[in-house]
Amino acid sequence: MPPFPDAPKPDADVIVIGAGPAGMAASVDLARAGRRVIVLDMQPGPGGQIYRGLEANLAEGAAAGALMTALGPAYAAGADLIRAFRGTESIDFRPGHTVWEVRRDGTVGWLQGTKAGYLRAAHVVLANGAMERPVPFPGWTLPGVMTAGAVQTLLKAGQMKPLGRVAIAGTGPLVFLLADQFRRLGVRPVMLARTDRLRDQIGALPRLRLPAVPSLAKGAGWLARLRLAGIPMARGVTGIEAVGATKVEALRLWRGRQLTEVACDLLVVHDGVVPSIDLAQGAGARIEWNQGLQAWQAATEEDGVMVPAPGASLVDGPCRILMSGDARQIGGAEAAMAHGRHVAAVLLAQGQSASRTRLRKSLLPRRFLEAAFPPGLSASLPTGNTTVCRCEEIDAAGLDGLIRAGAQDIDQIRGLSRCGMGPCQGRHCAVTLARMIAAQTGRAPVPFRARPPVRPLPLAALAALAGRDPRLTEIVSLDDKPVVGVDV
Amino acid sequence: MFASVVPIGHPVTIHFDGRPIPAREGETVAACLMRAGVPAFRRTPVSGGPRLPYCMIGHCFDCLVEIEGQGSQQACLVGVAEGMRIRLQNGAAGVGGGA
Ligand code: FES
Repeated sequence: MPPFPDAPKPDADVIVIGAGPAGMAASVDLARAGRRVIVLDMQPGPGGQIYRGLEANLAEGAAAGALMTALGPAYAAGADLIRAFRGTESIDFRPGHTVWEVRRDGTVGWLQGTKAGYLRAAHVVLANGAMERPVPFPGWTLPGVMTAGAVQTLLKAGQMKPLGRVAIAGTGPLVFLLADQFRRLGVRPVMLARTDRLRDQIGALPRLRLPAVPSLAKGAGWLARLRLAGIPMARGVTGIEAVGATKVEALRLWRGRQLTEVACDLLVVHDGVVPSIDLAQGAGARIEWNQGLQAWQAATEEDGVMVPAPGASLVDGPCRILMSGDARQIGGAEAAMAHGRHVAAVLLAQGQSASRTRLRKSLLPRRFLEAAFPPGLSASLPTGNTTVCRCEEIDAAGLDGLIRAGAQDIDQIRGLSRCGMGPCQGRHCAVTLARMIAAQTGRAPVPFRARPPVRPLPLAALAALAGRDPRLTEIVSLDDKPVVGVDV
Repeated sequence: MFASVVPIGHPVTIHFDGRPIPAREGETVAACLMRAGVPAFRRTPVSGGPRLPYCMIGHCFDCLVEIEGQGSQQACLVGVAEGMRIRLQNGAAGVGGGA
Protein backbone atom coordinates (compact mmCIF):
# COMPACT_ATOMS: atom_id res chain seq x y z
CA MET A 1 0.00 0.00 0.00
CA PRO A 2 1.30 3.47 -0.80
CA PRO A 3 1.61 5.84 2.13
CA PHE A 4 -1.71 7.42 2.96
CA PRO A 5 -2.01 10.76 1.15
CA ASP A 6 -2.45 13.92 3.16
CA ALA A 7 -5.75 15.62 3.71
CA PRO A 8 -6.17 18.70 1.52
CA LYS A 9 -5.38 22.00 3.21
CA PRO A 10 -8.39 24.12 4.19
CA ASP A 11 -9.10 27.00 1.80
CA ALA A 12 -10.51 29.28 4.50
CA ASP A 13 -11.59 29.42 8.12
CA VAL A 14 -15.24 29.84 7.19
CA ILE A 15 -17.17 29.36 3.95
CA VAL A 16 -20.40 31.36 3.91
CA ILE A 17 -23.06 30.27 1.43
CA GLY A 18 -25.33 33.13 0.43
CA ALA A 19 -24.56 36.87 0.30
CA GLY A 20 -27.93 38.06 1.53
CA PRO A 21 -28.38 39.97 4.81
CA ALA A 22 -27.43 36.97 6.99
CA GLY A 23 -24.41 35.92 4.93
CA MET A 24 -23.09 39.48 4.54
CA ALA A 25 -23.49 40.29 8.25
CA ALA A 26 -21.77 37.08 9.30
CA SER A 27 -18.86 37.44 6.90
CA VAL A 28 -18.21 41.10 7.77
CA ASP A 29 -17.95 40.31 11.49
CA LEU A 30 -15.84 37.20 10.88
CA ALA A 31 -13.43 38.91 8.49
CA ARG A 32 -13.03 41.94 10.74
CA ALA A 33 -12.03 39.56 13.52
CA GLY A 34 -9.28 38.22 11.28
CA ARG A 35 -10.93 35.06 9.99
CA ARG A 36 -10.35 34.04 6.39
CA VAL A 37 -13.80 33.99 4.80
CA ILE A 38 -14.95 32.79 1.38
CA VAL A 39 -18.50 33.81 0.39
CA LEU A 40 -20.30 31.97 -2.42
CA ASP A 41 -23.51 33.24 -4.02
CA MET A 42 -25.50 32.27 -7.12
CA GLN A 43 -26.22 35.86 -8.07
CA PRO A 44 -23.87 38.28 -9.84
CA GLY A 45 -23.65 40.63 -6.82
CA PRO A 46 -24.21 40.80 -3.08
CA GLY A 47 -27.56 41.58 -1.43
CA GLY A 48 -29.57 38.38 -1.64
CA GLN A 49 -33.09 38.55 -3.02
CA ILE A 50 -34.17 41.29 -0.64
CA TYR A 51 -31.45 43.73 -1.72
CA ARG A 52 -31.14 42.37 -5.24
CA GLY A 53 -29.63 44.91 -7.61
CA LEU A 54 -29.37 47.54 -4.87
CA GLU A 55 -25.70 48.18 -5.46
CA ALA A 56 -26.25 48.83 -9.18
CA ASN A 57 -29.34 50.96 -8.61
CA LEU A 58 -27.48 53.17 -6.13
CA ALA A 59 -24.56 53.51 -8.53
CA GLU A 60 -26.90 54.86 -11.19
CA GLY A 61 -27.84 57.74 -8.90
CA ALA A 62 -30.58 60.06 -10.18
CA ALA A 63 -31.31 57.89 -13.23
CA ALA A 64 -32.70 55.20 -10.95
CA GLY A 65 -34.25 57.70 -8.54
CA ALA A 66 -37.89 56.96 -9.38
CA LEU A 67 -37.26 53.25 -9.08
CA MET A 68 -35.55 53.65 -5.69
CA THR A 69 -38.44 55.78 -4.47
CA ALA A 70 -40.94 53.17 -5.60
CA LEU A 71 -38.99 50.36 -3.97
CA GLY A 72 -39.05 52.28 -0.71
CA PRO A 73 -36.89 52.67 2.41
CA ALA A 74 -36.86 48.98 3.37
CA TYR A 75 -34.93 48.26 0.16
CA ALA A 76 -32.53 51.18 0.49
CA ALA A 77 -31.82 50.06 4.07
CA GLY A 78 -29.51 47.36 2.74
CA ALA A 79 -26.99 49.91 1.44
CA ASP A 80 -24.95 50.15 4.66
CA LEU A 81 -24.48 46.42 4.94
CA ILE A 82 -23.52 46.05 1.28
CA ARG A 83 -21.00 48.87 1.67
CA ALA A 84 -19.53 47.21 4.77
CA PHE A 85 -19.36 43.91 2.92
CA ARG A 86 -17.62 45.40 -0.11
CA GLY A 87 -15.41 47.49 2.14
CA THR A 88 -14.07 44.49 4.03
CA GLU A 89 -11.31 43.66 1.62
CA SER A 90 -10.25 40.40 3.19
CA ILE A 91 -13.60 38.78 2.29
CA ASP A 92 -13.07 36.49 -0.68
CA PHE A 93 -16.43 37.02 -2.43
CA ARG A 94 -17.20 34.66 -5.30
CA PRO A 95 -20.46 35.60 -7.04
CA GLY A 96 -22.04 33.47 -9.76
CA HIS A 97 -21.25 30.30 -7.83
CA THR A 98 -23.91 27.64 -7.38
CA VAL A 99 -23.40 25.24 -4.50
CA TRP A 100 -24.41 21.66 -5.22
CA GLU A 101 -23.06 19.90 -2.16
CA VAL A 102 -22.17 20.66 1.43
CA ARG A 103 -20.68 18.05 3.72
CA ARG A 104 -20.70 18.21 7.45
CA ASP A 105 -16.89 18.01 7.59
CA GLY A 106 -16.74 21.48 5.99
CA THR A 107 -16.44 20.51 2.32
CA VAL A 108 -18.40 22.56 -0.22
CA GLY A 109 -18.96 21.65 -3.88
CA TRP A 110 -19.33 24.66 -6.21
CA LEU A 111 -20.16 25.28 -9.87
CA GLN A 112 -19.43 28.40 -11.89
CA GLY A 113 -20.42 28.18 -15.53
CA THR A 114 -18.82 24.95 -16.65
CA LYS A 115 -16.17 24.86 -13.92
CA ALA A 116 -16.68 23.01 -10.66
CA GLY A 117 -14.73 21.96 -7.62
CA TYR A 118 -14.50 21.57 -3.87
CA LEU A 119 -13.52 24.01 -1.17
CA ARG A 120 -12.88 23.25 2.48
CA ALA A 121 -13.06 25.22 5.70
CA ALA A 122 -13.21 24.62 9.42
CA HIS A 123 -16.81 25.82 9.38
CA VAL A 124 -19.56 26.37 6.84
CA VAL A 125 -22.37 28.89 7.36
CA LEU A 126 -25.52 28.09 5.42
CA ALA A 127 -27.26 31.38 4.73
CA ASN A 128 -29.01 30.36 1.55
CA GLY A 129 -32.28 32.03 2.49
CA ALA A 130 -35.84 31.21 1.63
CA MET A 131 -37.99 30.30 -1.31
CA GLU A 132 -41.60 31.05 -2.05
CA ARG A 133 -44.05 28.45 -0.88
CA PRO A 134 -45.11 26.34 -3.87
CA VAL A 135 -48.75 27.00 -4.78
CA PRO A 136 -50.20 24.40 -7.14
CA PHE A 137 -53.46 25.72 -8.62
CA PRO A 138 -55.06 25.12 -12.01
CA GLY A 139 -53.09 27.01 -14.64
CA TRP A 140 -50.02 27.85 -12.50
CA THR A 141 -47.65 26.72 -15.25
CA LEU A 142 -49.04 29.17 -17.84
CA PRO A 143 -46.65 31.83 -19.13
CA GLY A 144 -47.50 35.07 -17.33
CA VAL A 145 -48.03 33.45 -13.93
CA MET A 146 -45.11 34.51 -11.73
CA THR A 147 -44.27 34.66 -8.06
CA ALA A 148 -44.16 38.00 -6.26
CA GLY A 149 -40.45 37.43 -5.72
CA ALA A 150 -39.92 36.98 -9.46
CA VAL A 151 -41.64 40.26 -10.26
CA GLN A 152 -39.64 41.98 -7.53
CA THR A 153 -36.46 40.64 -9.08
CA LEU A 154 -37.47 42.10 -12.45
CA LEU A 155 -38.20 45.38 -10.71
CA LYS A 156 -34.96 45.53 -8.69
CA ALA A 157 -32.43 43.91 -11.01
CA GLY A 158 -34.17 44.40 -14.37
CA GLN A 159 -35.44 47.92 -13.60
CA MET A 160 -38.75 47.13 -15.27
CA LYS A 161 -42.40 47.32 -14.38
CA PRO A 162 -45.30 45.27 -15.67
CA LEU A 163 -47.47 46.56 -18.49
CA GLY A 164 -51.10 45.77 -19.09
CA ARG A 165 -53.51 44.24 -16.61
CA VAL A 166 -51.82 42.92 -13.47
CA ALA A 167 -53.65 40.72 -10.99
CA ILE A 168 -52.15 39.77 -7.62
CA ALA A 169 -53.30 36.80 -5.56
CA GLY A 170 -52.15 35.47 -2.23
CA THR A 171 -51.35 36.68 1.24
CA GLY A 172 -48.82 38.34 3.49
CA PRO A 173 -47.05 41.69 3.74
CA LEU A 174 -45.13 41.20 0.49
CA VAL A 175 -48.41 41.28 -1.45
CA PHE A 176 -49.24 44.74 -0.08
CA LEU A 177 -45.70 45.98 -0.51
CA LEU A 178 -45.59 44.85 -4.13
CA ALA A 179 -48.99 46.36 -4.93
CA ASP A 180 -47.85 49.62 -3.38
CA GLN A 181 -44.60 49.58 -5.36
CA PHE A 182 -46.63 49.05 -8.54
CA ARG A 183 -48.91 51.92 -7.59
CA ARG A 184 -45.95 54.26 -7.18
CA LEU A 185 -44.75 53.27 -10.64
CA GLY A 186 -48.14 54.09 -12.09
CA VAL A 187 -49.29 50.49 -12.45
CA ARG A 188 -52.79 49.91 -11.05
CA PRO A 189 -53.41 46.24 -10.30
CA VAL A 190 -56.82 45.14 -11.62
CA MET A 191 -57.30 42.89 -8.61
CA LEU A 192 -55.68 42.15 -5.29
CA ALA A 193 -57.11 38.78 -4.26
CA ARG A 194 -56.31 38.01 -0.63
CA THR A 195 -56.73 34.62 0.98
CA ASP A 196 -56.43 35.96 4.54
CA ARG A 197 -59.51 36.89 6.53
CA LEU A 198 -60.10 39.49 9.20
CA ARG A 199 -60.50 36.72 11.75
CA ASP A 200 -56.91 35.60 11.07
CA GLN A 201 -55.62 39.01 12.06
CA ILE A 202 -57.90 39.25 15.10
CA GLY A 203 -56.83 35.77 16.17
CA ALA A 204 -53.18 36.80 15.83
CA LEU A 205 -53.49 39.81 18.13
CA PRO A 206 -52.46 37.95 21.30
CA ARG A 207 -49.13 37.23 19.58
CA LEU A 208 -48.50 40.91 18.96
CA ARG A 209 -45.43 42.22 20.81
CA LEU A 210 -44.08 45.72 20.99
CA PRO A 211 -41.21 45.14 18.51
CA ALA A 212 -43.83 44.13 15.92
CA VAL A 213 -45.63 47.46 16.00
CA PRO A 214 -43.43 49.33 13.48
CA SER A 215 -43.81 46.62 10.83
CA LEU A 216 -47.52 46.49 11.53
CA ALA A 217 -47.78 50.23 11.01
CA LYS A 218 -45.85 49.91 7.76
CA GLY A 219 -48.28 47.24 6.53
CA ALA A 220 -51.28 49.32 7.52
CA GLY A 221 -49.80 52.24 5.59
CA TRP A 222 -49.43 50.22 2.38
CA LEU A 223 -52.96 48.95 2.74
CA ALA A 224 -54.41 52.39 3.38
CA ARG A 225 -52.71 53.80 0.27
CA LEU A 226 -54.00 50.93 -1.85
CA ARG A 227 -57.54 51.51 -0.61
CA LEU A 228 -57.21 55.22 -1.21
CA ALA A 229 -56.05 54.53 -4.75
CA GLY A 230 -59.18 52.44 -5.22
CA ILE A 231 -57.38 49.22 -6.13
CA PRO A 232 -59.99 46.44 -6.30
CA MET A 233 -59.49 44.03 -3.44
CA ALA A 234 -61.14 40.73 -2.53
CA ARG A 235 -60.72 39.09 0.88
CA GLY A 236 -61.24 35.57 2.11
CA VAL A 237 -60.46 34.08 -1.30
CA THR A 238 -60.69 30.29 -1.05
CA GLY A 239 -59.30 29.24 -4.41
CA ILE A 240 -57.88 30.60 -7.67
CA GLU A 241 -57.36 29.46 -11.22
CA ALA A 242 -55.34 30.90 -14.10
CA VAL A 243 -57.06 30.51 -17.45
CA GLY A 244 -55.59 30.93 -20.92
CA ALA A 245 -54.43 28.98 -23.94
CA THR A 246 -50.74 29.78 -24.41
CA LYS A 247 -50.54 32.47 -21.72
CA VAL A 248 -52.57 33.69 -18.80
CA GLU A 249 -55.68 35.55 -19.93
CA ALA A 250 -57.76 35.70 -16.76
CA LEU A 251 -57.77 35.06 -13.03
CA ARG A 252 -60.72 33.18 -11.61
CA LEU A 253 -61.22 33.50 -7.91
CA TRP A 254 -63.62 31.82 -5.58
CA ARG A 255 -64.95 32.97 -2.28
CA GLY A 256 -66.75 29.84 -1.20
CA ARG A 257 -69.02 29.18 -4.16
CA GLN A 258 -68.98 32.70 -5.47
CA LEU A 259 -66.86 32.95 -8.63
CA THR A 260 -65.33 36.14 -10.03
CA GLU A 261 -63.33 36.32 -13.25
CA VAL A 262 -60.88 39.13 -13.95
CA ALA A 263 -59.08 39.48 -17.27
CA CYS A 264 -55.31 39.90 -16.84
CA ASP A 265 -51.98 39.72 -18.68
CA LEU A 266 -49.85 38.96 -15.63
CA LEU A 267 -50.85 37.02 -12.53
CA VAL A 268 -48.57 37.48 -9.54
CA VAL A 269 -48.92 34.90 -6.78
CA HIS A 270 -47.50 34.77 -3.26
CA ASP A 271 -48.25 32.49 -0.34
CA GLY A 272 -45.42 33.39 2.01
CA VAL A 273 -41.87 32.09 2.10
CA VAL A 274 -40.37 28.92 3.53
CA PRO A 275 -36.76 28.02 4.38
CA SER A 276 -34.61 26.66 1.55
CA ILE A 277 -33.70 23.24 2.90
CA ASP A 278 -31.99 21.79 -0.17
CA LEU A 279 -28.37 22.28 0.93
CA ALA A 280 -28.97 21.33 4.55
CA GLN A 281 -30.87 18.25 3.54
CA GLY A 282 -28.17 17.26 1.08
CA ALA A 283 -25.67 17.68 3.93
CA GLY A 284 -27.61 15.13 5.95
CA ALA A 285 -29.58 17.42 8.28
CA ARG A 286 -32.52 16.09 10.20
CA ILE A 287 -35.50 17.66 8.48
CA GLU A 288 -38.51 18.50 10.63
CA TRP A 289 -42.05 19.49 9.69
CA ASN A 290 -43.13 22.80 11.21
CA GLN A 291 -46.90 22.54 11.48
CA GLY A 292 -47.52 26.26 12.05
CA LEU A 293 -45.41 27.27 9.07
CA GLN A 294 -46.61 24.28 6.99
CA ALA A 295 -43.04 23.78 5.84
CA TRP A 296 -39.88 21.82 6.54
CA GLN A 297 -36.96 23.14 8.52
CA ALA A 298 -33.50 21.74 9.17
CA ALA A 299 -33.02 20.82 12.82
CA THR A 300 -30.43 22.97 14.59
CA GLU A 301 -28.95 23.19 18.04
CA GLU A 302 -29.53 26.32 20.05
CA ASP A 303 -26.76 28.29 18.41
CA GLY A 304 -27.39 27.18 14.88
CA VAL A 305 -25.24 24.08 14.49
CA MET A 306 -27.03 21.78 12.08
CA VAL A 307 -28.26 18.51 13.58
CA PRO A 308 -27.51 15.53 11.32
CA ALA A 309 -30.19 12.89 10.81
CA PRO A 310 -29.47 9.58 12.49
CA GLY A 311 -27.92 6.90 10.33
CA ALA A 312 -24.87 6.42 8.18
CA SER A 313 -23.01 9.39 6.70
CA LEU A 314 -20.22 9.68 4.16
CA VAL A 315 -18.14 11.74 6.53
CA ASP A 316 -17.70 11.47 10.26
CA GLY A 317 -16.62 13.78 13.01
CA PRO A 318 -18.48 16.73 14.44
CA CYS A 319 -20.91 18.71 12.30
CA ARG A 320 -19.15 21.87 11.08
CA ILE A 321 -22.21 23.42 9.47
CA LEU A 322 -24.08 26.32 11.06
CA MET A 323 -27.36 27.67 9.76
CA SER A 324 -28.34 31.31 9.71
CA GLY A 325 -31.01 33.71 8.45
CA ASP A 326 -34.19 32.64 6.70
CA ALA A 327 -32.65 29.28 5.79
CA ARG A 328 -32.79 28.45 9.50
CA GLN A 329 -35.86 30.37 10.57
CA ILE A 330 -38.02 32.72 8.52
CA GLY A 331 -37.73 36.22 9.94
CA GLY A 332 -37.16 38.70 7.11
CA ALA A 333 -34.20 40.97 6.39
CA GLU A 334 -33.68 42.59 9.79
CA ALA A 335 -33.86 39.28 11.61
CA ALA A 336 -31.49 37.78 9.04
CA MET A 337 -28.89 40.46 9.77
CA ALA A 338 -29.20 39.80 13.50
CA HIS A 339 -28.96 36.10 12.72
CA GLY A 340 -25.79 36.58 10.68
CA ARG A 341 -24.15 38.58 13.43
CA HIS A 342 -25.16 35.94 15.92
CA VAL A 343 -23.62 33.09 13.95
CA ALA A 344 -20.39 35.12 13.69
CA ALA A 345 -20.44 35.69 17.46
CA VAL A 346 -20.88 31.96 18.01
CA LEU A 347 -17.94 31.14 15.74
CA LEU A 348 -15.79 33.79 17.36
CA ALA A 349 -16.97 32.67 20.82
CA GLN A 350 -17.54 36.26 21.79
CA GLY A 351 -20.63 38.28 22.66
CA GLN A 352 -23.02 35.44 21.96
CA SER A 353 -25.52 36.16 24.65
CA ALA A 354 -26.04 39.76 23.49
CA SER A 355 -26.36 38.70 19.86
CA ARG A 356 -28.78 35.93 20.82
CA THR A 357 -30.99 38.43 22.64
CA ARG A 358 -30.99 40.71 19.59
CA LEU A 359 -31.84 37.80 17.35
CA ARG A 360 -34.77 36.72 19.53
CA LYS A 361 -36.13 40.24 19.57
CA SER A 362 -35.83 40.57 15.81
CA LEU A 363 -37.83 37.38 15.30
CA LEU A 364 -40.78 38.54 17.44
CA PRO A 365 -42.80 40.31 14.69
CA ARG A 366 -42.80 37.08 12.76
CA ARG A 367 -44.96 35.28 15.31
CA PHE A 368 -47.75 37.74 14.67
CA LEU A 369 -47.34 37.74 10.88
CA GLU A 370 -47.37 33.96 10.70
CA ALA A 371 -50.75 33.78 12.40
CA ALA A 372 -52.21 36.87 10.73
CA PHE A 373 -51.38 35.67 7.19
CA PRO A 374 -51.58 31.87 7.21
CA PRO A 375 -50.92 29.90 4.00
CA GLY A 376 -53.92 30.36 1.73
CA LEU A 377 -53.32 29.48 -1.91
CA SER A 378 -51.77 26.20 -0.80
CA ALA A 379 -54.21 25.55 2.05
CA SER A 380 -56.25 22.93 0.25
CA LEU A 381 -54.48 20.21 -1.70
CA PRO A 382 -54.70 20.18 -5.50
CA THR A 383 -57.06 17.73 -7.20
CA GLY A 384 -57.86 16.41 -10.67
CA ASN A 385 -55.67 17.57 -13.51
CA THR A 386 -53.96 20.37 -11.56
CA THR A 387 -50.22 20.05 -12.10
CA VAL A 388 -48.23 19.09 -9.00
CA CYS A 389 -44.80 18.51 -10.60
CA ARG A 390 -44.07 21.38 -13.01
CA CYS A 391 -41.01 19.68 -14.52
CA GLU A 392 -42.48 16.30 -15.37
CA GLU A 393 -46.05 17.63 -15.72
CA ILE A 394 -47.65 15.19 -13.32
CA ASP A 395 -51.13 15.98 -12.08
CA ALA A 396 -52.80 15.47 -8.72
CA ALA A 397 -55.17 12.74 -9.93
CA GLY A 398 -52.33 10.49 -11.05
CA LEU A 399 -50.48 10.87 -7.76
CA ASP A 400 -53.67 10.42 -5.79
CA GLY A 401 -54.27 7.15 -7.63
CA LEU A 402 -50.84 5.85 -6.62
CA ILE A 403 -51.33 6.89 -3.01
CA ARG A 404 -54.76 5.26 -2.81
CA ALA A 405 -53.35 2.12 -4.40
CA GLY A 406 -51.02 1.85 -1.41
CA ALA A 407 -47.84 3.68 -2.45
CA GLN A 408 -47.29 5.79 0.64
CA ASP A 409 -43.55 6.25 0.58
CA ILE A 410 -42.58 9.47 -1.20
CA ASP A 411 -39.43 7.99 -2.75
CA GLN A 412 -41.39 5.03 -4.05
CA ILE A 413 -43.87 7.40 -5.69
CA ARG A 414 -41.00 9.35 -7.21
CA GLY A 415 -39.73 6.12 -8.76
CA LEU A 416 -43.17 5.11 -10.00
CA SER A 417 -44.31 8.46 -11.38
CA ARG A 418 -41.13 10.55 -12.03
CA CYS A 419 -42.66 13.23 -9.77
CA GLY A 420 -39.66 15.15 -8.43
CA MET A 421 -37.20 13.76 -10.97
CA GLY A 422 -37.06 16.81 -13.26
CA PRO A 423 -34.40 19.53 -13.20
CA CYS A 424 -35.85 21.34 -10.16
CA GLN A 425 -35.26 18.15 -8.19
CA GLY A 426 -38.53 18.33 -6.31
CA ARG A 427 -38.26 21.91 -5.08
CA HIS A 428 -41.78 22.71 -6.29
CA CYS A 429 -43.60 19.39 -5.85
CA ALA A 430 -42.11 17.75 -2.75
CA VAL A 431 -44.20 19.57 -0.19
CA THR A 432 -47.44 19.04 -2.12
CA LEU A 433 -46.88 15.35 -2.70
CA ALA A 434 -45.74 14.88 0.90
CA ARG A 435 -48.87 16.60 2.17
CA MET A 436 -51.04 14.46 -0.11
CA ILE A 437 -49.46 11.34 1.38
CA ALA A 438 -49.75 12.74 4.91
CA ALA A 439 -53.47 13.35 4.35
CA GLN A 440 -53.84 9.60 3.84
CA THR A 441 -51.45 8.29 6.48
CA GLY A 442 -52.03 10.88 9.20
CA ARG A 443 -48.25 11.17 9.70
CA ALA A 444 -46.15 14.32 9.31
CA PRO A 445 -45.02 15.07 5.72
CA VAL A 446 -41.64 13.57 4.82
CA PRO A 447 -39.48 15.03 1.99
CA PHE A 448 -37.82 13.13 -0.87
CA ARG A 449 -34.49 11.60 0.00
CA ALA A 450 -31.92 14.10 -1.28
CA ARG A 451 -28.41 13.22 -2.37
CA PRO A 452 -25.78 15.51 -3.80
CA PRO A 453 -25.53 17.05 -6.29
CA VAL A 454 -28.62 18.96 -5.13
CA ARG A 455 -28.45 21.01 -8.34
CA PRO A 456 -27.77 19.76 -11.86
CA LEU A 457 -24.05 19.47 -12.52
CA PRO A 458 -22.80 19.27 -16.13
CA LEU A 459 -20.87 16.06 -16.81
CA ALA A 460 -17.93 18.01 -18.21
CA ALA A 461 -17.68 19.99 -14.97
CA LEU A 462 -17.91 16.81 -12.91
CA ALA A 463 -15.15 15.19 -14.94
CA ALA A 464 -12.74 18.04 -14.23
CA LEU A 465 -13.51 18.72 -10.56
CA ALA A 466 -10.92 20.87 -8.82
CA GLY A 467 -9.90 20.40 -5.21
CA ARG A 468 -10.68 16.73 -4.77
CA ASP A 469 -9.57 14.93 -1.66
CA PRO A 470 -6.70 12.60 -2.63
CA ARG A 471 -7.61 10.31 0.25
CA LEU A 472 -10.93 9.65 -1.42
CA THR A 473 -9.65 9.19 -4.94
CA GLU A 474 -7.98 5.89 -4.20
CA ILE A 475 -10.33 3.16 -3.15
CA VAL A 476 -9.26 -0.39 -2.57
CA SER A 477 -11.93 -2.70 -3.95
CA LEU A 478 -12.86 -6.13 -2.67
CA ASP A 479 -10.23 -7.91 -4.71
CA ASP A 480 -7.61 -5.36 -3.70
CA LYS A 481 -7.32 -3.67 -7.08
CA PRO A 482 -7.02 0.07 -6.61
CA VAL A 483 -9.71 2.06 -8.43
CA VAL A 484 -8.46 5.52 -9.17
CA GLY A 485 -10.53 8.59 -9.72
CA VAL A 486 -13.62 7.85 -7.69
CA ASP A 487 -14.53 10.69 -5.39
CA VAL A 488 -17.29 9.67 -3.06
CA MET B 1 -45.58 42.37 -20.51
CA PHE B 2 -42.81 44.57 -19.00
CA ALA B 3 -41.28 47.95 -19.71
CA SER B 4 -38.11 49.68 -18.50
CA VAL B 5 -38.46 52.16 -15.68
CA VAL B 6 -34.89 53.39 -16.20
CA PRO B 7 -33.65 53.88 -19.78
CA ILE B 8 -30.98 51.40 -20.85
CA GLY B 9 -27.86 53.52 -21.27
CA HIS B 10 -25.35 51.56 -23.34
CA PRO B 11 -27.04 48.34 -24.24
CA VAL B 12 -25.30 45.13 -25.16
CA THR B 13 -27.00 43.04 -27.82
CA ILE B 14 -27.90 39.41 -27.47
CA HIS B 15 -29.77 37.24 -29.97
CA PHE B 16 -32.79 35.10 -29.23
CA ASP B 17 -33.57 32.69 -32.07
CA GLY B 18 -31.77 35.13 -34.35
CA ARG B 19 -33.63 38.23 -33.19
CA PRO B 20 -31.39 40.99 -31.73
CA ILE B 21 -32.40 42.05 -28.23
CA PRO B 22 -30.97 45.01 -26.29
CA ALA B 23 -29.84 44.17 -22.78
CA ARG B 24 -28.53 46.12 -19.84
CA GLU B 25 -24.97 45.31 -18.92
CA GLY B 26 -24.80 43.03 -15.91
CA GLU B 27 -28.39 41.79 -16.06
CA THR B 28 -29.48 38.21 -16.50
CA VAL B 29 -30.54 36.66 -19.77
CA ALA B 30 -34.01 36.09 -18.29
CA ALA B 31 -34.48 39.76 -17.42
CA CYS B 32 -33.78 41.08 -20.90
CA LEU B 33 -35.85 38.37 -22.60
CA MET B 34 -38.79 39.24 -20.35
CA ARG B 35 -38.40 42.93 -21.22
CA ALA B 36 -38.32 42.01 -24.89
CA GLY B 37 -41.58 40.14 -24.43
CA VAL B 38 -40.58 36.75 -25.84
CA PRO B 39 -43.63 34.47 -25.53
CA ALA B 40 -41.76 31.37 -24.30
CA PHE B 41 -38.27 30.45 -23.08
CA ARG B 42 -38.79 26.74 -23.50
CA ARG B 43 -41.26 24.07 -24.52
CA THR B 44 -41.65 21.25 -22.05
CA PRO B 45 -40.38 17.75 -22.85
CA VAL B 46 -43.68 16.11 -21.86
CA SER B 47 -46.55 18.16 -23.37
CA GLY B 48 -44.59 20.67 -25.44
CA GLY B 49 -46.32 23.49 -23.54
CA PRO B 50 -44.71 26.95 -23.49
CA ARG B 51 -43.05 28.21 -20.31
CA LEU B 52 -41.75 31.53 -19.06
CA PRO B 53 -39.79 32.20 -15.86
CA TYR B 54 -41.83 31.58 -12.74
CA CYS B 55 -39.44 32.26 -9.82
CA MET B 56 -36.51 34.27 -11.30
CA ILE B 57 -34.24 33.06 -8.49
CA GLY B 58 -32.99 29.69 -9.66
CA HIS B 59 -35.57 27.38 -8.12
CA CYS B 60 -38.15 26.43 -10.77
CA PHE B 61 -36.04 25.70 -13.88
CA ASP B 62 -38.80 27.04 -16.13
CA CYS B 63 -36.36 29.57 -17.61
CA LEU B 64 -34.19 26.93 -19.28
CA VAL B 65 -32.77 28.05 -22.63
CA GLU B 66 -29.96 27.07 -24.93
CA ILE B 67 -26.99 29.44 -24.62
CA GLU B 68 -24.12 29.27 -27.13
CA GLY B 69 -25.13 25.75 -28.09
CA GLN B 70 -25.30 24.50 -24.52
CA GLY B 71 -28.80 23.33 -23.57
CA SER B 72 -30.68 23.58 -20.26
CA GLN B 73 -29.08 26.79 -18.96
CA GLN B 74 -30.95 28.71 -16.27
CA ALA B 75 -31.56 32.07 -17.91
CA CYS B 76 -32.33 33.70 -14.57
CA LEU B 77 -28.81 32.93 -13.30
CA VAL B 78 -26.67 33.58 -16.40
CA GLY B 79 -25.51 37.14 -17.10
CA VAL B 80 -25.71 38.62 -20.60
CA ALA B 81 -22.65 39.09 -22.80
CA GLU B 82 -22.29 41.02 -26.06
CA GLY B 83 -23.26 38.88 -29.02
CA MET B 84 -24.55 35.98 -26.91
CA ARG B 85 -26.65 33.54 -28.91
CA ILE B 86 -29.68 32.12 -27.19
CA ARG B 87 -32.25 29.67 -28.48
CA LEU B 88 -35.58 28.48 -27.22
CA GLN B 89 -35.11 25.20 -25.39
CA ASN B 90 -37.33 22.73 -27.19
CA GLY B 91 -37.98 19.74 -24.94
CA ALA B 92 -35.10 18.12 -23.08
CA ALA B 93 -31.48 19.10 -23.73
CA GLY B 94 -29.38 16.56 -25.57
CA VAL B 95 -26.17 15.17 -24.10
CA GLY B 96 -23.15 17.34 -24.88
CA GLY B 97 -25.11 20.53 -25.45
CA GLY B 98 -27.65 21.28 -28.15
CA ALA B 99 -31.38 21.16 -27.61
S1 FES C 1 -37.02 31.37 -13.44
FE1 FES C 1 -37.10 29.83 -11.94
S2 FES C 1 -35.14 28.92 -12.18
FE2 FES C 1 -35.02 30.58 -13.50
